[in-house]
Amino acid sequence: MIASWYVVVSFMLIVYAALDGRNFGAGMLHWLVARTPEERRQVIAAMGPLWSWHEVWLVAFGGTLLAVFPRLLASAFAGYYLALFLILWGLILRGIAVEVGGHIDDRLWQAFWDFVFVFANFLLAILFGAAAGNLARGVPLDAQGNFSMAFFTDFKPRGHVGLLDWYTVPVAVFGAVLLAAHGATYLALKTEGPVHDRSATWAKSLWAAVAPLFVVISIESWAVRPDLPGRALANPLCWLGLLVIITAAVTLVSGLRHRCERRAFIGSNLLIVGLLATGVAAIFPVMLYSTLAPENSLTAYAVAAGPRSLLLAAVWWPMGLVLTILYFVFISRRYAGKVSVQRDNHGFY
Amino acid sequence: MNSTLYDPAFWSRLQFAFTLTYHYLFPQLTMGLAWFLVYWKWRALRTGNEKYNQAVRFWAKIFGLNFAVGVVTGIPMEFQFGTNWADFSRYAGGVIGQTLAMEGMFAFFLESAFVGALIWGEKRLGPRYHFLAALAVALGSWISGYFILVTNAFMQHPAGYHIEADGSLGIASLTAYLLNPWAWVQFAHNQIAAVVTGSFVVAAAGAFYTLRGVHPDQARLYLRAGTLVALIASVLVAFPTGDQQAKMVGNHQPVTLAAMEGRFKGGTMAGVAVIGQPNIAARRLDNPIELPGALSFLAYGHFGSYVRGLEEFPEEVWPDNIELLYYSFHLMITLGTIFILLMAYAGFENWRGRLASNSALLWVLMLAFPFPYIANTLGWMTAELGRQPWLVYGLFRTRDGYSKVVSNGDTIFTLIGFVGLYFVLGLLFLYLVGREIGHGPEEKAYPGRGGEPL
Repeated sequence: MIASWYVVVSFMLIVYAALDGRNFGAGMLHWLVARTPEERRQVIAAMGPLWSWHEVWLVAFGGTLLAVFPRLLASAFAGYYLALFLILWGLILRGIAVEVGGHIDDRLWQAFWDFVFVFANFLLAILFGAAAGNLARGVPLDAQGNFSMAFFTDFKPRGHVGLLDWYTVPVAVFGAVLLAAHGATYLALKTEGPVHDRSATWAKSLWAAVAPLFVVISIESWAVRPDLPGRALANPLCWLGLLVIITAAVTLVSGLRHRCERRAFIGSNLLIVGLLATGVAAIFPVMLYSTLAPENSLTAYAVAAGPRSLLLAAVWWPMGLVLTILYFVFISRRYAGKVSVQRDNHGFY
Repeated sequence: MNSTLYDPAFWSRLQFAFTLTYHYLFPQLTMGLAWFLVYWKWRALRTGNEKYNQAVRFWAKIFGLNFAVGVVTGIPMEFQFGTNWADFSRYAGGVIGQTLAMEGMFAFFLESAFVGALIWGEKRLGPRYHFLAALAVALGSWISGYFILVTNAFMQHPAGYHIEADGSLGIASLTAYLLNPWAWVQFAHNQIAAVVTGSFVVAAAGAFYTLRGVHPDQARLYLRAGTLVALIASVLVAFPTGDQQAKMVGNHQPVTLAAMEGRFKGGTMAGVAVIGQPNIAARRLDNPIELPGALSFLAYGHFGSYVRGLEEFPEEVWPDNIELLYYSFHLMITLGTIFILLMAYAGFENWRGRLASNSALLWVLMLAFPFPYIANTLGWMTAELGRQPWLVYGLFRTRDGYSKVVSNGDTIFTLIGFVGLYFVLGLLFLYLVGREIGHGPEEKAYPGRGGEPL
């Protein structure tokens, strides 16, 4: 039961990363792929009517984590205190920029909110990337399962680590480049005209940068957590994950080569899912690794809620999932195809 | 030096109270306004009268701005359970996490999937589906309210839980937890209070346009619908829902009831203080004007019922800010009474056909809309201050729940950050809503209507 819940919360986080990741990516590239006010409205419209639905995956993940792994949420959120508030403020700024940027037909107004939008998306992509690096590297958990962490200490990934060090910074950069590539692939699928052409070009160069960065952080991961590759090799799910990554890469490259945007975007999504799924499968059952002493690490079994709470949550959670997939299918079908600024403009009021 | 400043629980409480109070200014309008949108959209479908569609388009814009600020200010609430209240999450997460997760899975997904379609998707969706989008958003916002109130009701009056081997709480019965009687009473009271806010805002817009002499058809629609709904909701929020809520407090939190009324000594024929100041040091209510027997009757159904006073309880279970609790509760009641009188008068003028010509009344209606926000806030202050010193009533104290690893400085820093960010957000919101109200509803035919293929 506990392992299934580990799968469920990982699934929610991965879905969030793939869905909102493309919005972060599109947001980071906003200035590069769209030059005129109309083109910029096109990028925002491409985020679609469902962007807040994407964000709800993060909120629902947080709620589910509290319900099934309360002690993990308590340790992790209190420990990452300031970083988490930066993420929250970034989400606030991003959301507001999307919602109000198009309200007034004025160049300065839009330029200002475009800036806020780009800035918030960079901040979020880098912070989420650094968070992923922190999960792999571990945090300075004491014997009581508590930690509190500075933004950086001596940049070494062992002992009393900070949020940023020579391991998590490259992971954050990798994350930002990966999400930018993902966003560019999405924009190429959803837009037309110059925005489409620039996005397609950016997608190719960004994906070309992802490959060497991936090699770098793989080697770094091996150096920082020498135990991880061995555990991954022994875990059949990681082999499955590797298969997904290879399939995704092939699909993506073929999609980009043949200018089949749908195929490229499917590959891009699969790649993110494959990478993260392999990662969470490799660290299981540890949810938060201790850099001070491995025995302080918090495992899923140690942080889970009581068996009855887990069982009862397993009754209603699948119903919620089915319902939300239905809403998603309904709305997506209504908004299928390329966006049209005439139809989907969020309207100057 | 005041030791409060060195108390980490104080700063985490202040941050939670500030961010939550600010956040709730937005959902209360969303929840109140949503059913106006549903109703007008339905009228538009049934009658084909374009004025209802115009009303929906206008209010959907206000709704959208309001919703956006509500969403972005809502996300920090859930995360603060972990960041600032880690020990509370460790203790009760297995229970309260259930409803917070359900809120995401059943309410937020529903709302967020359809809200974009409601605000911008009329052309994409067509009239029927556009009506369904309005309905989905309204339902989603009320379901969300229910799950949050179940969570709060658990903290007020724990139900359906059991204690795990390690001392933390787990769910024993999901039905007992979800059907907590406290949650039902609080839900009814709170949701109707949200309708009061929504209807006052609609009426205020109607009064504004009438006084300005613009958009006469739309103004009449808002004024009539707003004042009628406001009258019904203002009555219902006091009776039976507010009354039931007070009885719930009297039965399950008698010490809170005593503090709300500033009663230090117990007795029969207990009165309701219309005016008076609690004096904690002297343990009495100064300068009271009381309605004798009213409290006994309201709380327990009998003038002769015995109402316990604060002195009958150990001081360690007294709410920790009795003055603030007392004033919050009394001001809420006063405002609620004024709402009923104002809207009854508006209803009377409407019946005499003078609603749109009584300019004194229109001025009052136009300027009255902030007061339901204040009353809602005071109601929540009463509920939450009254729950102190407990996080989970009778089980777990507030001072045990905060995050031990987070320093005061961290919390003060993020609190100041929120104050600054929310100030800017508030200005932005008022500017944009003011602009929408200034533009007013479009009374021309919709450009895309009928012509564009879906």
